[in-house]
This record gives sequence, C-alpha cells and structure tokens, in this order.
Amino acid sequence: MESLFGKGNKRAPLFVVLLVVILLPLMSDDPFYLSLIIGALVWSVVAMGFSAVMRTGSFSMGQAAFMAIGGYTACLLQKNLGISFWYGLLIAGVIAALSAAVIGIIVLRLSGMYFSIITLAFGEAVRVIAENWLNVTGGMNGIIPDPPSPIHIGSLTIDFVSSQVPYYYLILIIVIIAALVFWRLDGSRFGRVSRSIATNELLAQHTGMHPMKYRVVIFTIAGFFTGVAGAYSAFYHVFLHPANFGMNQSIAVAIMAVIGGSGSPVAGPVIGALIVSAVGDYLTTLLAGLKPLVYGIMVVVILFLLPNGMVQLRDSFVKLFRGQPGIQQRPGAARNTR
Amino acid sequence: MLEIRGITKHFGNLFALNKIDLNVEEGELLGLVGPNGSGKSTLFNIISGHYHPSAGEVRYRGEKISGLRPDQIARKGIMRVFQANISFGDVTVYENILRGCYLLGDANLGELFFNTRRYQNDERKMKQRVEDVVEFWNLSGWRDNLASSLPHGLQRVLSLAVAMAPYPKLLLLDEPMTGMHPEEVASMSEHIKRINQQGITIILVEHNIKFVLSICPRLVVLNFGQKLADGVPQEVVGDKEVITAYLGERVA
Repeated sequence: MESLFGKGNKRAPLFVVLLVVILLPLMSDDPFYLSLIIGALVWSVVAMGFSAVMRTGSFSMGQAAFMAIGGYTACLLQKNLGISFWYGLLIAGVIAALSAAVIGIIVLRLSGMYFSIITLAFGEAVRVIAENWLNVTGGMNGIIPDPPSPIHIGSLTIDFVSSQVPYYYLILIIVIIAALVFWRLDGSRFGRVSRSIATNELLAQHTGMHPMKYRVVIFTIAGFFTGVAGAYSAFYHVFLHPANFGMNQSIAVAIMAVIGGSGSPVAGPVIGALIVSAVGDYLTTLLAGLKPLVYGIMVVVILFLLPNGMVQLRDSFVKLFRGQPGIQQRPGAARNTR
Repeated sequence: MLEIRGITKHFGNLFALNKIDLNVEEGELLGLVGPNGSGKSTLFNIISGHYHPSAGEVRYRGEKISGLRPDQIARKGIMRVFQANISFGDVTVYENILRGCYLLGDANLGELFFNTRRYQNDERKMKQRVEDVVEFWNLSGWRDNLASSLPHGLQRVLSLAVAMAPYPKLLLLDEPMTGMHPEEVASMSEHIKRINQQGITIILVEHNIKFVLSICPRLVVLNFGQKLADGVPQEVVGDKEVITAYLGERVA
C-alpha cells in the first residue's frame, strides 16, 4: 500500500514533511503565517471529505453546511449547557454526521447533477436558518464562544488564549486522524468499490455492490470530520457567523479538492487547500478586489497544465526522486492498482 | 431452478413482455432467441433485478427474487453479461476482475477499516481468484492493460470473465458473440460449453442461430414480448409461427 505522502519505500520525503510540519510554529514570529496554515489545515479536512464523496461520483456542493452544523452545535452546547469545547468538538462531529446520514439517505439516490443542486440548496437552507433563527443562533449577530478550557499535563498548562500555537497542534492532530481514515478507506476495498460505482454504477450493481450503502457511509464520515472542522473553526476565530459557512465556502472546497487532485484521498485535498486557502488569503492582503480574478485565473491555469491536479507534481517529483520517468495519466483517471 | 411466472413488463402502453412463463432447470444450457425488440433483454433485465416486473414473479430456487435489487440478486449467484461491452474501462483487466470478485468478500466495513485477518484473507482469496480467472480465459498477456484498450472480442471475453469470477450458479449471457469473428466464436463457444459442463446453468441470448442450434439442447423463442415456442431445436425450428416470425427459411 502506498504511504501517505509519497509512493514507495523511500519514506524520507514523508519524514521531512513531518518534521517541517511539527516544527512549523518555530519558523516564524509573525502569527499571520501560522494563521494562514491553520486556515488551510481546517479546509484540508473539509476538502478530504469532499474528495472522498467525489470519488463515489457525487459532487456535494453544500459541505460548508456541515461545518455550520458542527460550529453551531459546539458553540450552543457551550453557551447554553456549559459543555466544554473538548466534548463539544466530538458531539459537533456526531451531529454533523447524523445530519449527513439523514440527508444522504434521501439525496444520494439522485444522479450527479441533481445531487449537486440539492446539496447546494441544502447549504443555502442551513445558512438561511442560521441567519433567521434568532433565538437559537443569534442570527446575523453570530455567536462569540468562550475559548477552549486549558489542558493540564502535569505541571504544564496549555491555554488557548495567549497563543495560537496550541490551536495549530490541535488542528494538526485532527488533520492526521482524518488523513488516516480517508487514506485507509481509499486504499482498501472501500475505495475500490467507490471508484467502481463512480465509473459504472450499473456494472458495479451487477457485480454485487450496493452503491447507496457506500455513498451514505462515506458521506456520513465526511460529514463527521466536516462538522469537527466547523466547530474548530468557530472557536479558533472566536466568532461564528452564518456567512462563514455559505455557498462560497462550499464551492471553494470543491475547487480545493479538484485542484489538488481528485484521485488522491489526502495529499490532493491538503495541497489544494494550501493553495486555495493559504495562497488565497495571502493574496487578499496584496490584491484585495482583484482576488476573485486572480483566483479564477489560477484555477484555470492549474487545471490546464495539470489535469489530474497538483498531485501530478508530487507524483512526478517522487518518481524523479526514485530515478524513474513520470507517467502522464489520463485526466480524471482514478488510480489503477488496489 | 428458475421459475418465471406470468412476467409482464410494460412501459406506458408498450408491452415489452406479456405473460411470459418459463422454467429453467438446474444445469441447463438454454437458448433464448427472437427478433430485435422481442423482449429478450427486457427479460434479462427483470431476472437480474434491473427492472421490476409490472406483473408476475420470478423465483430462484423457490425464493422470489423479482423486486430485489441487482446487487442482491447477484449475491444469490445470478450473474449477467450485458449485450454492450460494459466494463470499468479506465482500469486494468486485472482490476476489472478483482472488482468482479467483490462477492467473495466476507469482511464487513469495520473489519475492512482495521485490516483484520478476515479482511486480509478476503483480499488474498480474491487476488488468487483473479489469477485463476486470468489463466482460464487466457488473458495473461492483457492483464495490465486498460480494459478500454482491449480489442472488441477480448472485451466480450473480459465481461464474461468478470461475471464468472464470483462463482455464479446462473449466468445470463446477452449476445456474447456480437462482433466476433469465427475463431473467436469457436473459442467462446468452447468456453461456454465448458462452463455449462461445470454445472453452471446458462441462459444464452444470441442472434447467431447456427451457433445456438449447435450448442443449446433447448430453445425458447420470443416475439413481441410473447413466448412462441419452447423445446428442442428441431421442434422449434419446425414450428410454423416461429418460422413466420423469425427464422424465415428453414435452417438446414
């Protein structure tokens, strides 16, 4: 089975990446850069979920709605019931997963285009509810959650107020857990079935596969992690507002997954999130109003040069590292050997 | 083994099948013939679960299967080969057959996730089966080629190989010889006979009448959704209605 961030036995690239990732907060004094990375990591979790669902043949254009569900769950549990962020984070994931399961069972029967439109509508519905259900969500005022309670390890106290570094390691843990789950699913028979039902559902059915089961399961798992990401995000930004998780964000997630590489369960979404989110946020500071234009051009250029997404670069680089010629894949091709 | 009773299928006002009764015995090699549009593929669609009948029922080994999903029916041991070349075109021959082995797996999702011994056994069993299937169908040379790159004749073979992978008991073969030249037809014919000799029941739809007459001990003729004849080839071929509807001149 392939290793997480590179193919083959040479795990050196993986260790280098891991080292950089663990030591990242030490690399700059300016909290701005770390905040870019944290933002990207949050989106990478959501993008991983989107990507996994996409690989069963369904483009969910409402993933941000599950972030909202997670966010509001965690915040309201804290505000109204005094439940700590740490439990709230998990419960947020569970509630988002349940919502995904219910929606999924109803909506995943629909074919591609209709599914995308309904999920888009669902995303908007959640946003509208968040805006208008004043008693519960505070509407356009949003919610300002209290910071997560500090963690005590022996005599060491990690607090989430004075620095964002603990936030960084927290999202890193979430990303790693999500990565392991999605990577494992994709590399196993689950991934094989997903790709089958995406390519040729008729044949897949006649081979004994039950497409709805797989679609609902992956949609639910994606929903869980997306809810967790949403809850994390609400607390990290210390502000939860309906506009944070709307159509723009859902579409951005889709772009991240596609740019990063649709065939890749982890590296693709992470790279895509880094490019779209981190680079995008960075560009905002330079370009303000021009950002949508630059964004659009960037997406088109990337997809034109690298139809399989940014992971093509990684694959070529790794092959170079191992002294092999790179292989030009067909655009959109799923990976072959599992 | 397979009992088809009163199967009717209509699409609006069009009756694709009209009160079809048919029994298939275990181990049979049954030929199903009829002009285009006579309802042969529709009947296959109903048996395999792709369509639900408008009326009537299908029983397999005494159990009602009409109304089940295609994957449930496949799980019972009924596999279908389609008229068109349907495969997972973007992956290799090996991968296609591996996917065909899906039903050989026992492990559930949790075991899959934690890579338990049962899951690993499943995978090993499946991979071994793929090797055996590749060998049986002489596909070794094409193992790592994309399914879509296979020549037409081999794509038909691949469809059959994939259907055979999970040890089916009943095979629905929809025009396996389409577009094949004589050597391929002879080879496919041998394979079909061999499969049937292993005890697998086969319902064969084919337009190549000479071929069907030569290997099928029993023929059923459909026309406009109705059964015209059912019996040994000599009888069927001599049946007036059949001759008028389909065979034209008597085949020597």
